[in-house]
Amino acid sequence: MRDDIIWELRSDKVRELIKSSQRLDGRALYEYRPIKIETDFSKNAHGSCRVVLGETDVIAGVKMDVAEPYPDTPDEGSITVGVEFMPMASPVFEPGPPDQNATELARVVDRCIRESKAIDFKKLCIEEGEKAWFVFIDIYVANDSGNLFDASSLAALGALLNTKIPKLEDDKIVKDEFVGKLEVAKRPLLTTFAKINGKLLLDPAIAEEKAMDARISIGTTEEKLMSALQKGGPGSFTQAEIEQCIDLAFEKSAELRKLLKVE
Amino acid sequence: MAKSEEIVYINSEGKRVDGRKVDELRPIKIVPSVLSRAEGSAYIEWGQNKALVGVFGPREALPQHIQDPTKALVNYVYRMATFSVPDRKSPKPGRREIEISKVSGEALERAIFVERFPNTTIDIYVYLFDSNAGTRCAALTAASVALADAGIPMRDLVSACAVGRAAGTIILDPCKAEEDASDAVDMPLAIMPRTKEVVLLQMDGLIGKEEWKKAFELGIKGCLQVYEIQKKALKRKYEEIAEEEEKTIKQIDKELKKVEKK
Amino acid sequence: MQGRLVIPGELITTRRMKLGPHVFVENGKIYSDTVGLVKIERGSVRVVPLQGKYMPKAGDVVIGIVVAEEYSYYAIDINSFYYSFVPKEEIKIPLKKGTIVSAKIVKVDEINAATLSDIRVFRGGEILTISPVKVPRVIGKNASMLNILKKGTGCSLMVGMNGRIWAKGGNIELLKKALAKIERESHLSNLTLRVQKMLEEEKKKGGAFGKK
Repeated sequence: MRDDIIWELRSDKVRELIKSSQRLDGRALYEYRPIKIETDFSKNAHGSCRVVLGETDVIAGVKMDVAEPYPDTPDEGSITVGVEFMPMASPVFEPGPPDQNATELARVVDRCIRESKAIDFKKLCIEEGEKAWFVFIDIYVANDSGNLFDASSLAALGALLNTKIPKLEDDKIVKDEFVGKLEVAKRPLLTTFAKINGKLLLDPAIAEEKAMDARISIGTTEEKLMSALQKGGPGSFTQAEIEQCIDLAFEKSAELRKLLKVE
Repeated sequence: MAKSEEIVYINSEGKRVDGRKVDELRPIKIVPSVLSRAEGSAYIEWGQNKALVGVFGPREALPQHIQDPTKALVNYVYRMATFSVPDRKSPKPGRREIEISKVSGEALERAIFVERFPNTTIDIYVYLFDSNAGTRCAALTAASVALADAGIPMRDLVSACAVGRAAGTIILDPCKAEEDASDAVDMPLAIMPRTKEVVLLQMDGLIGKEEWKKAFELGIKGCLQVYEIQKKALKRKYEEIAEEEEKTIKQIDKELKKVEKK
Repeated sequence: MQGRLVIPGELITTRRMKLGPHVFVENGKIYSDTVGLVKIERGSVRVVPLQGKYMPKAGDVVIGIVVAEEYSYYAIDINSFYYSFVPKEEIKIPLKKGTIVSAKIVKVDEINAATLSDIRVFRGGEILTISPVKVPRVIGKNASMLNILKKGTGCSLMVGMNGRIWAKGGNIELLKKALAKIERESHLSNLTLRVQKMLEEEKKKGGAFGKK
């Protein structure tokens, strides 16, 4: 569509500049765009967070609900991550059920959090085999200006960190009453790199995403462990490149963690 | 609803459950131009309600068979985020959202010069992230600002407001607690402020004509107050820039005058 | 009243005047249909919009991008409501997707679709975009602003009425800054002088043309 044509044109410029390690917006290769974070702005949500990364704008909200545990894990609750690309986020998005991209994003953010053991599912159990807490994380993309992965994982974590646990009375949730905050033991975050003309760059902006050969997102925790890996796009990575990204991911995600203040 | 017997909707000082007077709106904040990829956008906070609107168009309506050769189609999509309501809602649109989308789109159609853009569509997307009564009015109010932000020509803005009744008193802009009153009436209303033409009108509740008239007239007053807030929001950006550049402008004016004197 | 900031539906005047773009009459009064500035010239009133899409006009020169090649024609995006379709037989050099061209609008039909002619291909350079409604400010009276931009940045420029600007050589970063200033302050007076000042100050700071 109209808007995308300009980005495609800029692709040539992006690919040219990267040869001398330069980027369209003047950033360094491993530099994040400016980030703004707003937490706990939705009262009906149990936890919420809005992240603006450059011009990418993502809103996450958490709701906790009680349900029967899955039969194979009777003493555990769980999380569910949903992603909706709102149609205002780009001229090419249309309203409707999540497409491949939204689905991939939801599943990668889910793995990043789930596998990190940031939330102890056993602690979500209320009554074994009968009731457990389920944490619903819903992410809404308001403006796609590149790197939805990092923005979404940051918003999801930001929302989880201010999530309050609803009070239960006779197995029913009591409105507007809470019993403390959700325990989030780790700070899992995704860090994403694009590969363009053989060079790796952190936090690809929209023009760079249109020009990239491939993308890799690495989920890490503050203990320098990885909880998720996802390569996307039609190109490829060498082992050396992947290792370089992993090292950088540990370093760069630490910068993002500093931005998250826990109330 | 047993609760309503315990709640005092209007106390002896004429104050409502949230401290407001009967004809007082909740605080409203509107900011246009908040999204870079939408052609027009706005963010609104109205009481606890928080909504984001993005507008595209006029753009070619596809597939071709839906095109109208006489005018632009107005496609209004109203959605609530799963966490925007007390009990988590399914991400799939419900019938309430579909109905609101329809009547809101029809409201805006009257204001937009749709005949100037045949075969196109104007897409308006509104999402709520927190809610507490009057969401469709907040959404429509913000959508109107987003349309102006997109430069889409209109006869007037559309300003919306709800009016209701609780414990026998007609109240402007009811909040959720008031909507739960046993004799509650909830009437969302939207007008084009210049002519006071009504472009959206719905009602829940049981009410006689005289009382309805009082409510309706209070609602119109509310809409006109909302209009002033919309107007300020649209002009603010330019007025702020003018203020910031005032020093340089004055300086240049001085220099120009010097040149003229020579 | 001149230069007053108005919004859609706002009253401009009750006097009888000739009607320019973006105003309409209701019950003998003249109103604005958009967010913009009131301009009164020689007995006619119009509103210069501060936001909006490009409305194609016959005679306008625009900068287009080839988006598709079909069997017998090219589809060209001119940043408006519709693509323009140009038969291959009318173009001497073969075009491909992504080619940037300048073109003249020969006519606009009742659904605002434009027919193009005089297609010329740009070699090199890059495309910058601004809101189409700000193009008159980028050109200025008697091309005054355009000249200042050319002199102050050393760029070769061509401004399309559809909000696209082709630039080559010179200090493109400085040009982007100047365009951003024009977009932001297009509703204020003495813009040409202020942009000129800004370019002079930047030149003193960063040396002559280009960064590398």
